[in-house]
Amino acid sequence: MSTQPFKNVCLLPQTNQLTGLYTIIRDKNTTRPDFIFYADRIIRLLVEEGLDHLPVVKKTVATHTGENYEGVGFQGNVCGVSIVRAGESMEQGLRDCCRSVRIGKILIQRDEETAMPKLFYEKLPEDIADRYVFLLDPMLATGGSAIMATDVLIKRGVKPERIFFLNLICCEEGIQNYHKAFPEVNIVTGCIDKGLNEQKYLVPGLGDFGDRYYCI
Amino acid sequence: MTEIPSDLQRSTNKTGIVNKHLESRYTPPWTTPYIIGIGGPSGSGKSSVASKIVASINVPWTVLISMDNFYNPLNEEERQRAFNNEFDFDEPQAIDLDLVYETISNLKKGKKCQIPVYSFVHHNRVPNKHVTIYGASVIIIEGIYTLYDPKLLDLMDLKIYVDADLDICLARRLSRDIVSRGRDLNGCIDQWERFVKPNAVKHVIPTMQNADAIIPSMSDNGIAIKLLVDHINAKLEKKSLEHVKELIQLGNVHDIQSLENHPYIHILPKTNQVKAIITMLLDKNTGLDDYIFYFDRIATLLLSIALDDICIESHDPITTSLNITIPNPAHINFDNITAINMIRSGDIFIHSLKMTLPNVSIGKLLIQSDSMTGEPQLHCKFLPPHLEQFKKILLLEAQIINGASMIMAIQVLLEYGAKLENINVVVYSATETGLRRVLNAFNDEVKICVAMLIPEKELRLGHNLWCLTRFIDSKYFGSK
Repeated sequence: MSTQPFKNVCLLPQTNQLTGLYTIIRDKNTTRPDFIFYADRIIRLLVEEGLDHLPVVKKTVATHTGENYEGVGFQGNVCGVSIVRAGESMEQGLRDCCRSVRIGKILIQRDEETAMPKLFYEKLPEDIADRYVFLLDPMLATGGSAIMATDVLIKRGVKPERIFFLNLICCEEGIQNYHKAFPEVNIVTGCIDKGLNEQKYLVPGLGDFGDRYYCI
Repeated sequence: MTEIPSDLQRSTNKTGIVNKHLESRYTPPWTTPYIIGIGGPSGSGKSSVASKIVASINVPWTVLISMDNFYNPLNEEERQRAFNNEFDFDEPQAIDLDLVYETISNLKKGKKCQIPVYSFVHHNRVPNKHVTIYGASVIIIEGIYTLYDPKLLDLMDLKIYVDADLDICLARRLSRDIVSRGRDLNGCIDQWERFVKPNAVKHVIPTMQNADAIIPSMSDNGIAIKLLVDHINAKLEKKSLEHVKELIQLGNVHDIQSLENHPYIHILPKTNQVKAIITMLLDKNTGLDDYIFYFDRIATLLLSIALDDICIESHDPITTSLNITIPNPAHINFDNITAINMIRSGDIFIHSLKMTLPNVSIGKLLIQSDSMTGEPQLHCKFLPPHLEQFKKILLLEAQIINGASMIMAIQVLLEYGAKLENINVVVYSATETGLRRVLNAFNDEVKICVAMLIPEKELRLGHNLWCLTRFIDSKYFGSK
């Protein structure tokens, strides 16, 4: 079962399998097909964990033997919002669990003049305010772009407690920065790294996730 | 943990080697095969009697062994004589009766055996060629000296002598040897006069007194064979009832320890998603598309749980693409895993398995329950070679109802070299009794990952009875 190392942070169980999967995707000698396959496996686990936080309602169904079964049914609509480009790598994992899920996109890039993140583009489902939102970005380092993206969501009427920020690797500093802005947003992660280096990269991290997933 | 009575504890000697025979408390039916010997002179019609019996008893895993495979290899001089038709193949010494005894007694212990293949062209055993026999419920041995060796007689449950006048035997031999084997008449008669007939009179006919039944070799021996078959069927039925009874007893555990806390049982956490998927799969109105999609989802979760304790192979340092070194990361290797599917219900895991372990080698086992007795019967198996080398063997099945076929499947894997601690059963739904039987058969030490476990007390109250029918795979495949 997942643990809660910090308030509103959900960490996947640190099993042999999961720590081994992280070793594979961190190793620079891992081939690209392997990187994609094993990153996708971690993403699937993150999505499943995120979905587990969604509410259900009581539901009674008829079984094939005629007996009724007192179960539960899904409640609430989900949509995904990926932060372009690396976050898009997580869309398929969400689709594998929720077939016809709506997906919005937000592009945030570092402004060359101010060195601050700047919102370039957003395209979100119209009814996003009524939905649970899975914010997708594989790495939470300083939290700069995630904060900006969350801000966009909240301005569109999404309730912060209905946002789940899914990432593969984060660090305590990033969590604190992000939660300072949005304490009610749930962070779902698979690994909490030591921290950031001088260039504000996660350490040990795995390099640029988008580069490894899409290019190299 | 349940206190295990000391006489049932695994006996461990001082070097720490576990006694293999105590790894399982279950006696699979193939470790107690029913053995039938059929003897009688050459040409008396033994093989036709044997095949009539095989055809009428209708038990899977019946093995017919001909004593012809056990001729002693000849030396150069003997071989020369054999080529000149001067070697006596009809005396008892021509057959390696010790090897026959060894083979049959090993089969009787349920061990895997290799039977030599004899070449009548070279008068020698064919090198590196043998027939492997394993897991027989009924073994029929057929040959002129089947009822000759007292040691061998002791192993047999039923001894049959096929009787025929020697002139009838000669007539049969002549037509067989000349028509089917292309021999010439004079050679055949010569061999008959010199070897076959004297040996039959001296050694074979006297074995008639060792038989439980002597049957005529006429073409109308139907009644005699029917009597024999009825007798054999009655014995086999008793055996399978005992087998079923043994399986039932394995489920009778008086000290009820909650399975939820059992160290070897991993139940998929009952999260909202899992509960909702289970509900959807039970809903008879769920369409096939949704059913398959959601089953694949929960199967992927189950497989992931089963893989969580994959062993860590090493901690060699790695470097990330930013040239940061990680000194001791955990390295795992998914290639050390194999999956064995129970045909067909285990095959519903194929999709999720390929998504999780794309290159995994997959074995298959077909075990079916006899519709009359409910006894599980092993029909066929395709296992990856060197099972002992895999560090995790996923044994996949949709449902455990009474546990019988699962117990048999685990036993087969153990006999093919799998280590019990490496076997990991993955099953969607299971009854408490079925799970307890499986655990109890293997000293509470077989790891089982299950999505839904139905407690015995609910079934007693008449709730959740759907778990007693095999609906999971019927719906998934869309056929009964």
